[in-house]
Amino acid sequence: MGVIVRTGARATIPLIGIFGAYIVAHGHLTPGGGFQGGATIAGAGILFLLAFGLGEMKRHFNKNLYSVLEGIGGLAFLGAAMLGIGTAFFYNVLWHNGPFFNGKPGTLLSAGYLPIMNLAVGLKVFTGLVSAMVGLALYRRWRK
Amino acid sequence: MKRTLAYLSLLFILGVLLYVANPNYGLKFGPGGEEWKALRYTDDYYITHGLEEVGGTNIVTDIVFDYRGYDTIGEATVLFTAIAGAVALFRPWRRDGDEHH
Repeated sequence: MGVIVRTGARATIPLIGIFGAYIVAHGHLTPGGGFQGGATIAGAGILFLLAFGLGEMKRHFNKNLYSVLEGIGGLAFLGAAMLGIGTAFFYNVLWHNGPFFNGKPGTLLSAGYLPIMNLAVGLKVFTGLVSAMVGLALYRRWRK
Repeated sequence: MKRTLAYLSLLFILGVLLYVANPNYGLKFGPGGEEWKALRYTDDYYITHGLEEVGGTNIVTDIVFDYRGYDTIGEATVLFTAIAGAVALFRPWRRDGDEHH
């Protein structure tokens, strides 16, 4: 793309990323959460791909790293669900008698495992959507 | 012939759905007051108890990650499978690789 688009992308990609991180981190307080915030951050990645082109994206994109991060996101989600396995699967033990994440409702460090799960799902959605988009962009060619 | 039957069955299903969606016979839209208590008692429970039981002020997140966490695990699995399938199908074919090298 042209100079104006690339400069604009340079300015807006960090803003989109920070806004997406805010949505993910405040998933238990305000509308949004892991899926929505992850899709927003993936929008920053897709803007990078569109503005700077596939060659630049190939140099910064590591498919092994992104696959591993997606798996880690899913495992962190399952691990947070397993924390209270002594009582039941998906028992929110951090909220009921945990050492942290048990602040007053409405503060950032509250709601037990909800922030952990939001971060895990956000990581998973972001890496997954970006790898799918890069895979689509790398697809061979239009004809034949 | 087959196509006519298909369109006729589509029309029939549409008629049944329109009948069901009629407030006089089936679904109620926008219930309030006593109707809300009778038809939406689960929602009422989540709204009253969500804050103390889960701790998040966002009730939707409370439901999605705590009350109905299995659903979210399934959703995450669907996303994982979709990404894995898409990336697996977008890989270059062997014949193309031979052409390029």
